Amino acid sequence: MKISRRTALKATLGSALAALPLPYVANAAGTDWSKLRGQTIVINWPSHPHFDIAKKLIPEFTAATGIKVELDEMQYLRMKDAQVLQMSKPQGDYDVIVYVIMWKTEYVQRNFLTELAPLFANEALAMKDYNKDDIITAYLEGLGLVGGPRGYLPGPGAKLYGIPYGAECSVLAYRKDIFAKHNLAPPKTYDDMLAAARKVKEKEPGMGGLTQRAQAGHQVTAGWLMHLTPYDGLVIDDKFEPRVSDPAAIKATEVYKEFIDTGPAGAASFDFGQCINSFLQGQSAMYCDSISIFGPARDPAKSKVTETTGYVVHPKAVKYSGELGGFGLAIPKNSARRDAAFAFMQWITAAQQDVRVTAQGGQPTRWSTLDHPDVKKIYPVDIYRECLKIANPDWRPIINEWTEISEKVLGIRLSEIITGKTPIKPAMDSAAAEIRTIMTRAGYYKT
Amino acid sequence: MPDLANHERADDTVRIATVAALAVVSILPILVMLSTSLKTQSQIFSGSFSFFMMPTFENYRNVLEGRFLGYLGNSIIVSVVATVLTLVFGTMCAYAISRFRFAGRSPIAMSTLLVRTIPPAVLAIPVYFILTPLHLDGLAGLTISYIALNLPFTIWLLYGFIEQVPTELEEAATVDGCGPYRLFFTLILPLLKPGLAAAAIFTFRIAWNELVLASILTNRTSRTLPYGVYLFITDVGIDWGQLMAAGMLVALPPLIFTFVAARQIITGLTAGAVKG
Amino acid sequence: MQLGSGLDRRLTPYVFAAPAVLIMLFGLLYPVIEAFRLSFYEVRLGEPVTAQAFRGFAIFAEALSDSSVRKSMAVTLQFSIIVVAIEMFLGVGLALILEKPLRGMMVFRTLLVLPMMIAPICVGLIWRYMFDVNVGPINSWLSVFALKPAWLAESGLAFFAICVTDIWQFTPFVFILALAGLQGIDQSSVEAAKMDGASTLQIIRYVKLPLLAPILMITILMRVIDALRGLEVVYAMTNGGPGLSTELFSLHIYKSAFVTQRMGHSAALSICLLIVTTALSALLLMWSNPLRQKGR
Repeated sequence: MKISRRTALKATLGSALAALPLPYVANAAGTDWSKLRGQTIVINWPSHPHFDIAKKLIPEFTAATGIKVELDEMQYLRMKDAQVLQMSKPQGDYDVIVYVIMWKTEYVQRNFLTELAPLFANEALAMKDYNKDDIITAYLEGLGLVGGPRGYLPGPGAKLYGIPYGAECSVLAYRKDIFAKHNLAPPKTYDDMLAAARKVKEKEPGMGGLTQRAQAGHQVTAGWLMHLTPYDGLVIDDKFEPRVSDPAAIKATEVYKEFIDTGPAGAASFDFGQCINSFLQGQSAMYCDSISIFGPARDPAKSKVTETTGYVVHPKAVKYSGELGGFGLAIPKNSARRDAAFAFMQWITAAQQDVRVTAQGGQPTRWSTLDHPDVKKIYPVDIYRECLKIANPDWRPIINEWTEISEKVLGIRLSEIITGKTPIKPAMDSAAAEIRTIMTRAGYYKT
Repeated sequence: MPDLANHERADDTVRIATVAALAVVSILPILVMLSTSLKTQSQIFSGSFSFFMMPTFENYRNVLEGRFLGYLGNSIIVSVVATVLTLVFGTMCAYAISRFRFAGRSPIAMSTLLVRTIPPAVLAIPVYFILTPLHLDGLAGLTISYIALNLPFTIWLLYGFIEQVPTELEEAATVDGCGPYRLFFTLILPLLKPGLAAAAIFTFRIAWNELVLASILTNRTSRTLPYGVYLFITDVGIDWGQLMAAGMLVALPPLIFTFVAARQIITGLTAGAVKG
Repeated sequence: MQLGSGLDRRLTPYVFAAPAVLIMLFGLLYPVIEAFRLSFYEVRLGEPVTAQAFRGFAIFAEALSDSSVRKSMAVTLQFSIIVVAIEMFLGVGLALILEKPLRGMMVFRTLLVLPMMIAPICVGLIWRYMFDVNVGPINSWLSVFALKPAWLAESGLAFFAICVTDIWQFTPFVFILALAGLQGIDQSSVEAAKMDGASTLQIIRYVKLPLLAPILMITILMRVIDALRGLEVVYAMTNGGPGLSTELFSLHIYKSAFVTQRMGHSAALSICLLIVTTALSALLLMWSNPLRQKGR
């Protein structure tokens, strides 16, 4: 029985697997997962390139474990509403949620998530050779840990509530052909980037310099954050005082605004999709955002720049500081099928599945995946490792109030700035005052 | 009088031209949606828009692979039940207000006039707080909310129609020994057909299309179509083809409904059935 | 059925009114009272409403001093006045022009009704695509003039875009009601005016419009309220941006319920919206109360 399943599985997995050790399902059979057979878990799952690829593996999980999986797919920024509504009930719909990094602290503080350490300690549930240390450190800490310093950083008090999956850091993509045409070197610094953006805007009709996110709300904040920490700016400091109108933050905002002004047409309202498409469709010469561009940039169906895209590390302004973000998997406290949910979380993030998803254009979760020859063939692995080195866990303050600060304060003020309605300094002063109001209400300044 | 005839003909030409122009303005965006839903992604991103393409149903196939059929079923159930009950209850209430003088008539009438201004965004949060503990979140609670939301408008729309039905008819029927309920269902209701049809359109439209309450009250199994489409608006490169295909699927039933019912409604309206 | 007893007859109106009244009590009034209650508490979604969370009017005060709230109110007012005025003008004008039966009229009228039948979320999607800076048909057509406005990225243009969308969608609503009103006009007064040699414009001005007035008032009322209630179209088109330039108040309430999950704050805002809409409708009711009109 065991053998036949393994054989059958091997047959379906194809050549990508040939070089790998035995399928992990073998281990699954060795644990007590058999008790979970027949259960159906429901997962709140984002419509996102990485998860579109990962989704294809799920039938194999069901075949191997007998656990059925039902996906509730939606656009990723819609997920929070649905998750909060479900997790607020005595018993919710979801057994696994895919969450965005910035929700983690809020979810844990509201007592929505299951702590994972006890589950990993449970020998009947834990996969025998699930190597947690192999998970890319910055990702595991950045996405999984809550309760440490400042509430979201690794350190004393931090506990594991989630496993990174579809995590990402930032990279700079540029058009090799356009840069060569105008004698521009691949940008190493922000000055290089700005010079290139100006040159492209001036010399290439219909093309913008840097494409970035700018839609009012979450997106514009994310676009701005790309530049904030490289200029050594902060949203809030260690005393939780707002610092968005400090000189460093103002400088970063000026740079962000200039990139909008020298950017593609309509740049001031781009969401992430429009941002990345502008580069893929050849309307922008640079892209400085998530490494999730690696997959689509190689895909001729989505990209006109398959042959002309080059990558460098997110440039330095005052310092190197890259994004650390993306998704993680967690189990809601009110899930009725916690064990099966945990089985799924381990299986999908196990080394073998990770390689296969990455080899098809997904985003790697594990160090070992980056070493795999199939992945090296298609991924700029060396650049990726460099990007990971500068990924900053304090890229944004993932405090409880972050969504409100991001969407209602910065998301509005920055949008006003880039559309030219308000000068930078007064707008950021207002933003700082508004952040302080929120922090005061939340009780951060009590002595 | 040839002059007058000429004048009238010129008049007609102007009106036909007006109508044609308006019709084009009205349906052009819908045709844009239709044609986009039949295009491939590379056609859509080619930069210049055209109505012509080699139609592909790929987008529709992709959309229907998901849960859309289930959402469709939910939407049909909620909209039909809400429409039927709204019409029945609304007409009855309008009839009571129009034809009877009873204690509480004025408060009912006035408060109905006032509550029809309640925005769904106001209801969303309290409704979640009220219905979740009662386990009425889901289709039942959604239907109740839609009936409540639609009743005020329906009552006042039909009140207007009932007021135009001469009371002599009812008086004669009452003299003939017809009770108030039979009178209502056999005499009044048929006379209200145009009004009912119009009310049905508006009620159905709101129930079918509503998003705010649906987003709060439904889960993956009870979700209705508009929320389904809403969840389709992806951030990672708007897939306009798929999104428009999903939009078409949501828009199609009301569009068909309009084509089927419009004749009846417009005939009803133009036939002067409203007149007393 | 036989004529009932005296009691029966007195019960009749209550039997007729009861189902509608009960549903409205449960589905409208109760939630509004609950919203009032919630607006005094600092609670988050799913948390129990406890005495410790009671803040009284503090939440109202804080909400009303919020600059984004006031900005959103201003946007909403501007939006409602502009779109309703234009829709009334177009809708009534259309009804007057197209009142008389015309060959093929049925099809035309059906086509005019279509925009309002489609889900607002679809309307938002369609027009987001229409106005899309890169792939949208409008810019594709404008490229003839070498124009490429970033419709949804600039405050003024985005506001214009949502107005266009609303006018496109809801002019037929005004048209239908106005047409229904025109059909209800006693033709003899129109004929009499014609006999007296009145021009078409005079007939419209002195005969038809006065007779239409009640239904026009109701139409305006419905449209203003709808404009204040709507949020889906804008949500799909601009999500309120850029900045707050298209953040209609309903959208603001809905977004803040999820963004901050502070139910009291959101409830307080929704009570404010409710007061505005109710005041507006009360004002218009003084003009045109269906209870006080007999026939048309």
